[in-house]
Amino acid sequence: MEISANTKKIHRNENIARGVIWGFAGLTILILAWILGFILYRGFYSNNVVGYKYTDMSSDVLTLNDGSEVIFIANKGIRVKDLTADSMQELYTHVIRELNKWSDYTEQSVLCQPIAYKDESPFNSSVKAFLLGKEGLDNWKSYTTYAVDSRQMIEKVAETKGALGYIPAGDRNLLTKDVVPIPLRSIQVAMNSEALAIKDNRSFQEFTEDTLKAIFAGKVVSMTSIGGIGIAPLPAIAPNVNRSLTDNWFGPEFIPKQFDTMEGFYDYMSRNPGAVGLVDYTGYIPSDSYETVTVQRRERGMNLDLWFLIEKPAEGNAGGISYFIINTLFMILMTLLFSAPIGILAAVYLVEYAKQGPLVTVLRMGTETLAGIPSIVFGLFGRIFFVNILGMGIGFISSTLTVTLMILPTLVRTSEEALKAVPPILREGSMGLGATKWQTIFRVVLPAASQGILTGVILAVGRVAGETAVLLYTLGSSYDLVRNLHSPARVLSLHLYLLFSEAVSFDRAFATGTVLVIIVLITNLLTRRLIRKNKQMAGR
Amino acid sequence: MATMIEVRKLDLHYGDFKALHGIDMEIEENEVTALIGPSGCGKSTFIRTINRMNDLIDSVRIDGEIYYGGENIYDDRYDVIELRKRIGMVFQKPNPFPMSIYDNIAYGPRIHGKKNKAELDILVEKSLHHAALWDEVKDRIHSPAMGLSGGQQQRLCLARTLAVEPDVVLMDEPTSALDPVSTAKIEDLVHELKKDYTIVIVTHNMQQAGRISDRTAFFLNGYIEEFGTTDQIFFNPVSSKTEAYISGKFG
Ligand SMILES: Nc1ncnc2c1ncn2[C@@H]1O[C@H](COP(=O)(O)OP(=O)(O)OP(=O)(O)O)[C@@H](O)[C@H]1O
Ligand SMILES: [Mg+2]
Repeated sequence: MEISANTKKIHRNENIARGVIWGFAGLTILILAWILGFILYRGFYSNNVVGYKYTDMSSDVLTLNDGSEVIFIANKGIRVKDLTADSMQELYTHVIRELNKWSDYTEQSVLCQPIAYKDESPFNSSVKAFLLGKEGLDNWKSYTTYAVDSRQMIEKVAETKGALGYIPAGDRNLLTKDVVPIPLRSIQVAMNSEALAIKDNRSFQEFTEDTLKAIFAGKVVSMTSIGGIGIAPLPAIAPNVNRSLTDNWFGPEFIPKQFDTMEGFYDYMSRNPGAVGLVDYTGYIPSDSYETVTVQRRERGMNLDLWFLIEKPAEGNAGGISYFIINTLFMILMTLLFSAPIGILAAVYLVEYAKQGPLVTVLRMGTETLAGIPSIVFGLFGRIFFVNILGMGIGFISSTLTVTLMILPTLVRTSEEALKAVPPILREGSMGLGATKWQTIFRVVLPAASQGILTGVILAVGRVAGETAVLLYTLGSSYDLVRNLHSPARVLSLHLYLLFSEAVSFDRAFATGTVLVIIVLITNLLTRRLIRKNKQMAGR
Repeated sequence: MATMIEVRKLDLHYGDFKALHGIDMEIEENEVTALIGPSGCGKSTFIRTINRMNDLIDSVRIDGEIYYGGENIYDDRYDVIELRKRIGMVFQKPNPFPMSIYDNIAYGPRIHGKKNKAELDILVEKSLHHAALWDEVKDRIHSPAMGLSGGQQQRLCLARTLAVEPDVVLMDEPTSALDPVSTAKIEDLVHELKKDYTIVIVTHNMQQAGRISDRTAFFLNGYIEEFGTTDQIFFNPVSSKTEAYISGKFG
């Protein structure tokens, strides 16, 4: 068969068009998948580099200067992974009890209840000396709870929320499953001050675990390669360091210089500019000639865990978002309850009843304009009108009404389009059977338009769930649950904004964002299912 | 044989445009009256005046009278809901509601207050039998009406109209969207239904008009050019224009 030049051209154009369309569609899908994937990934997993004045090595048993061994324990409600030795001191010595929360360490908004022994046994004196070293003995007295022996200590820790206690390592067999031993990180890295000084605009500040391991494996010839000045590092280890920990952590290539006495170690640290030493915090003696440096630790973990969902919110880094989830759902429900009937009936009026004329045109233009106005303008309006003029105050009802007003125009417009799309012959069919106008609308037109109307509702839910600007002006920022119509509160989107603007935590922000995405996803699925049900049920 | 509907000096305006000019017509009980004529001559406009479907169009103005049951249906006090219950209509394009077959048929009776399930069941079955659809759909009566074929949908619309138990059935080109087999079915039905109902049917198909109607009205430019028994119009037309149209010379 002969194919004409023109036909060939047509085929070529067809292929080009298809290619371009596929290209763009593919790109769009890729971008969307990437964004969603990124948010969900960051929401569910945290992966941060955090600097500590300690290495990652931890042990349940802490050996104090006089050789006594202590195990710190916490109530099992405390989700503690590990603590640094000086964190333990802080938890025991905070003067103002109200501030003495676990939140800085475990993101739990639980008061820390330290428990101690009263007696003057050598063991207790030694622990006391360690814990109170910095603060002086006065703070010890401010504790209200004491135990007489390990058994009672364990009991008390088990039954007191947020409790913190300690026992001699020898009593380890008394531990119950209601208390958890706390692994302590007490090994620090010290360096000679000369190596840390700024020279030629270069200064050594932090180690990564990898550089630390490289130094102690003897692989670093000059510190320039790890960001410092041109001296060869001299790895050393103090005699008070738990060797089983370090040998495990560093592996077979661990080759530090060793010492019989602490004095020998400190002497070495002071005299060698390249000295890099491992030393246990319990025996650390500060000096001008050497200081401790920061070691970076990569912390990976579940970001969005069950606790985050179900725990009561608290300030800062502590608590979960349970209340915010409930507040958000409640707000979505209330705004839909207000806006859906009004919006749909207004659309019914505009499409089915109103005489199409200048008035309707103006009304339509008005709704269109309102639908395009930035939400912050509605927020301003709500703040002045509902909060001030009507005196409703900042709180749930003011914000719900403002959000209702905000989504109403969109809802009217989408419902209007849905109603207009219902073929006129359906209306005629119904009227021809002797149905009244309202019967026709209610039984035929609305069910036939339900898909389009519900699409508008889904969009509205998305807007409510994601609204921030309006709420900033009208909802306040309380961490509480919405208990009555006037209570100020937070919803997820607002919380997300505040987390970010107050620079609280990216991890929490992403976790909150992920929950928000999932809520919107679930509402979409539910509404879709509802549409299908509705279609089957239409006319019943 | 009694006159069911009597049209007297009916004028109809769409805004400034006069679509019907002084229509006079008697529609006899238990007969089929066919309305024929070229496109745009006012057949649909006229048939819709009989159950006041034109009320739905804002710009329409109607003068003259249509008597039904001794009363002028354009009288201010006449109840249009009651009228449409008694004078049902089947449209050109099948227009089933987006619901099940059963609900489509039960729609009319329900809005007129019939709630009893057993009664509705009987009525639905009877109407479907009447529209010769029962055998085809009896197993899927609760599935969506949209799933039926075009011809089945049109018979469903007929059944839906019959379920309200009207006196008169108006049909505006009910077969124009259908295949020959479905068309034949509808034609047979019309023949069958004549016993119980009075039927007015608009058609572009001369043979169809000849086959199924007792009387024929030939519309031209908003006027009735000729009205008489179908035999007379087809075999012995008075007007030369009627003859020309019937013989396919214009239209
Ligand atoms: N809603 C309307 N508004 C204004 N004019 C109309 C309207 N409906 C019909 N007309 C006009 O009235 C005249 C008669 O129309 P009608 O639909 O009754 O014709 P018809 O005989 O049914 O034609 P067809 O055989 O094509 O269906 C036409 O000139 C048409 O343009
Ligand atoms: Mg027509």
